[in-house]
Amino acid sequence: MNEALTLEGVSKRYSAHIAVDDLSLVVPRGTIYGILGPNGAGKSTTLRMVMNIIARDAGRISLLGADPVADRTVLRRVGFLPEERGLYRKMKVIDVIVFFGELKGMDRRAARASAAGWLERMGLGDWKLAKVETLSKGMQQKVQFIATVIHEPELLILDEPQSGLDPVNQEVLRDTILNAREQGKTVIFSTHNMEQAEQLCEHVCIIAQGRKVLDGRLRDVQRENIGNRWYVEFDGGSDQVSRFMRGETRYGPVTPHGEGWRVEMDAAADPRPLMAAVAALDVPVVRFERERKTLHEIFIDRVSGAVTPQRRPEVAHV
Amino acid sequence: MSEVMIVFRREFLERVRSRAFALGTVLFPLFMAAMWIIPAKVGQGGGSRTIVIVDQAPAGVGALVEQGLTNPQGPAASGKDRVTYTVQRVAQPLEQVRATLIRRVQAKEIDGWLYLPPDIVRSSQAQYRARNVANFAVIGDLQRATTQAVQAARLQAAGLDAGQVAGLVKRVDVATARVTDKGEEGGSAASAFMLSYIIGFLTYMMILLYGMNVLRSVLEEKTNKIAEVIVSSMKASHLMLGKILGVGSVALLQVAIWATVTGLISSRGDFLARRFNLPPGAFDMVNVPVGTLLAVLGFFVLGFLLYSAMYAALGAAVNSEQEAQQFQVLVMAPLIIPIALVFRIVSDPLGPVATVLGMIPFTAPVTMAMRLAAAPVPPVQIVGSLALMLVTVLAVAWLAGKIYRVGILSTGKKPSLAELGRWLRAA
Repeated sequence: MNEALTLEGVSKRYSAHIAVDDLSLVVPRGTIYGILGPNGAGKSTTLRMVMNIIARDAGRISLLGADPVADRTVLRRVGFLPEERGLYRKMKVIDVIVFFGELKGMDRRAARASAAGWLERMGLGDWKLAKVETLSKGMQQKVQFIATVIHEPELLILDEPQSGLDPVNQEVLRDTILNAREQGKTVIFSTHNMEQAEQLCEHVCIIAQGRKVLDGRLRDVQRENIGNRWYVEFDGGSDQVSRFMRGETRYGPVTPHGEGWRVEMDAAADPRPLMAAVAALDVPVVRFERERKTLHEIFIDRVSGAVTPQRRPEVAHV
Repeated sequence: MSEVMIVFRREFLERVRSRAFALGTVLFPLFMAAMWIIPAKVGQGGGSRTIVIVDQAPAGVGALVEQGLTNPQGPAASGKDRVTYTVQRVAQPLEQVRATLIRRVQAKEIDGWLYLPPDIVRSSQAQYRARNVANFAVIGDLQRATTQAVQAARLQAAGLDAGQVAGLVKRVDVATARVTDKGEEGGSAASAFMLSYIIGFLTYMMILLYGMNVLRSVLEEKTNKIAEVIVSSMKASHLMLGKILGVGSVALLQVAIWATVTGLISSRGDFLARRFNLPPGAFDMVNVPVGTLLAVLGFFVLGFLLYSAMYAALGAAVNSEQEAQQFQVLVMAPLIIPIALVFRIVSDPLGPVATVLGMIPFTAPVTMAMRLAAAPVPPVQIVGSLALMLVTVLAVAWLAGKIYRVGILSTGKKPSLAELGRWLRAA
């Protein structure tokens, strides 16, 4: 059993619209998995169904090998950071963390010791006995994060973890995610920040309007969606090169890009004639390569057109 | 430790450790005492009045009125809060002295004047003019003194002696005491009423205060988005249960503290009465049979569970305290009914109004607390009412749990009644 999470044909319908539509995905253990999509795509709804906070209408979910509806105890092995966060404002920092640890089945004394250690590592050692409401927003976010991981979960599910974090805390979060991964844990997080996903994830799933657009290993996704865009860079001979490149429009639009040129070829075009023409020039070629698309570009390619701004469900998550 | 216990412990400790709990435990009894003592003190006031009697009445009446005010006889003479009077009598017609009197009142030389017209014995009409005519003690004194004087004049005219007649028509005082299962017990009608009202009012206040506490606690979890984290670890119904039990235990702890202190006071009642110069038996009213106390406690616990379940559902359905305020009244309305009807219930605790209100689960807690303190309620009614309440608590908690489950995770505008119906069906 190598999957941390499996979704098969999961759907969730609200009275006005379908939030998640026949979604299937597989999260292998020990990986960092990104669920990407624009606002309102159904990311949070999906994660909430996984955590059994809301009930699914259809489909099967296997979380760490168990259905969270049938076996709630499996949720104790998961750390969940919801999109909208909150702590008891009147409680002491350490008491809040211990409370959440206990809810996940920890022994109180063990939770207290572990919480103290985490606070120390996060630079909040002096705030252990302060009331939550006296902490800055950034500190509260750290406390919330500790409360999510205090029980050493096998699987971390983070809903938009970086939203509202300052750059320093984003770095802290990043380190913690990578650290968890090094310890053999699985991390699933949702985001609409493609750049961040690209840096962290090994697997991604892009959803839009409740439907899966694509999923798989990031490497495979990038290879499969590589497109036909080429980058050419010469060593010197700028006038001659410029004249030549601006004349080569038979393959597609050409634009200066960085130190060199970018050729946006039609999908079916063969790059070899261009390669031959470049080689025939009396200027040394430094680079001639097929450009990898960023996740953002793949996302835009696949999603644009399909996306119309959608209203979020307003009242209830029944 | 089970989920419910963890939530219970958090709710309990957070409240018991708070300054509000310590303050409330000390100040609430003081507040209750003040509510009883201040109205009793205000309106008596004592003090002194300077009054001019404009005496046009037949001979002797004016003098008797003056005597009745300055040197009263009978029950009016006792009591340290009595108003003392300084009286001047003038015999001129009112028209001649009115302007002077008005000036003297305005100059605060005198407080007012009492006009006894020539035909007072026939017409039974007198006039009092003063800066302040709202003092019931003063008006009462004037009425009594004038009435006695005029009656004496009439009796004399009929050939009877006023003193003899007064002896003949002397009123009878009825001393009261309760008969309970143990036989005859002390306690005047006033102290029985006081006890009944205090216990009823206390039950009402505690249910209301701690019910509101549940509401605020649910709202905090909802508005601070804590609910989502918790519900990803445990069942919403367990969260609600732990919360209600936690808050309820704080209420019980507070009641236990008060009960212990009250018990100590009543066991030293005679000593305290002597120490504070109170009549012996002043603390008798706190002597309540244990069985009655247990029954009152049972009604309080079930009443709290009933109302806190409704408050929990309300807290989950709304988005802010302001929104909650609008609906709060609806929830507490049945709780207020027995308070509004306190005189009916206490004056006839075994009558139809008290019996019916005592059987309706929503009005029963406060009503039964009042009735139990006032009279020996038939055990069948006590057990029947408790059973009805228990069934209602279970049904209401079940419905409230459904609203709660959906409500704590909902966002945006407050739900309409139709949406609430959908929540009930969906959960």
